[in-house]
Amino acid sequence: MKTYHDIAGDGGSDVIGQVVAKRSKIAESLAGVRHLVAIGSGKGGVGKSTLTMQLAEAFRARDKQVAILDADLNGPTQARLGGLRSAPVMPGPRGLVPPKTASGIGVVSMGGLFPESEAVDFASVSSGDSYVWRATREFSAFGDLLAGVGWGTLDFLLVDLPPGAERTFQYAEYLGAAAAFVMITIPSDVSRGVVSRSIAALRKTPNRMLGYIENMSGYYCDGCDDVRPLFAAPATIVLDVPRLGAVPFDPELAAACDRGAPLVDRNRPAVAAVGAIAEEISRLLEV
Amino acid sequence: MKFLCVLCDQPMKLIEMAPPDRGALSIVYECPECAHRIAMLTNPLETQVVTSLGVQIGPGQGDISKCPFSGMVQEMTGGAAATPAGEKPAVVWTDAAIERLQRIPDFVRPMARSGIEKYAQDKGLAEIDEAVLDTAKDFFGM
Repeated sequence: MKTYHDIAGDGGSDVIGQVVAKRSKIAESLAGVRHLVAIGSGKGGVGKSTLTMQLAEAFRARDKQVAILDADLNGPTQARLGGLRSAPVMPGPRGLVPPKTASGIGVVSMGGLFPESEAVDFASVSSGDSYVWRATREFSAFGDLLAGVGWGTLDFLLVDLPPGAERTFQYAEYLGAAAAFVMITIPSDVSRGVVSRSIAALRKTPNRMLGYIENMSGYYCDGCDDVRPLFAAPATIVLDVPRLGAVPFDPELAAACDRGAPLVDRNRPAVAAVGAIAEEISRLLEV
Repeated sequence: MKFLCVLCDQPMKLIEMAPPDRGALSIVYECPECAHRIAMLTNPLETQVVTSLGVQIGPGQGDISKCPFSGMVQEMTGGAAATPAGEKPAVVWTDAAIERLQRIPDFVRPMARSGIEKYAQDKGLAEIDEAVLDTAKDFFGM
């Protein structure tokens, strides 16, 4: 009697063929992207999204073509950070036209598609069992965004990842070996412990690890024009990847995020630090 | 998943799929040798798990929506994603414009469609072609 592998094809729906076809569409859509850089952490609340937008702004200030894909489908923030929450949805010759920020950063985020008052709700024929299929559905939607957007010619496509060490690993597998990773932490062992776990997971992939950024590395006081310690004691866990730089917490940056306008004043330490990190990433990737 | 006719030792062919019933699918297979037919009946969870890959089940005619956010989209567009049966659409899309619309992720198509149709109606246009899409893109500063 024949076994599974003796029979060519599948049961008639060509499920594998459809999945492969989508992978081809993604590759075609990303053909003009020079560098795919995933910004992750594993830990939530460390400033991945804020630094993603600020990095994009720093690249733009250096005449690079850059776009952001917000991979956090459940807690999307990039549309707000870019001031694009009510941007129109427009089909171009090669897919969805990414709305652009005032400085020309293309941003694709679920936050620009659905109001913040709405939970991201996936249509389902199987109520009450979402834990079984939801992650798969999210990756499928993420793939649709990668494949269905006209990214055009870019120096960098920054992918703002959701939290979760295992999710970081899964995104590495989904994005493929071409994606380089930048990790974000804050100077606490709680954060560094999680980031360390994410880095360990990423070591099992062929993806290039560019290094980590220490966010909230002190806070910038406008009044005394100085960077003061934010955490009582320095972190002790060592991350065994290059440190790309450190960015102090700046209340003005937080306010700019809420306004949907990246901070651009290069005299502020946070902006200067992100600029230096952008230059280091460019150097590492030879852009 | 594949089906084998044990008596004939032949892979069975997918013949047809009945419309979904409360999340369950009925997919009919036939042996090309002896014409024996069986039906695979999926439960809603099985249907959901497979369609979560973003694929269509069946021989190309499955009407399980690939759109992951169809409920939200319907709510947001007020059901304006499609013209009700029997009613003449306010604006007509050319084949080339539809082709362009189909290149964007399916869960944003209803939003794109309703936004562009509103733009066309505001401009007094009866037809949406690629030139209208380009003009709309420029109009919205994109």
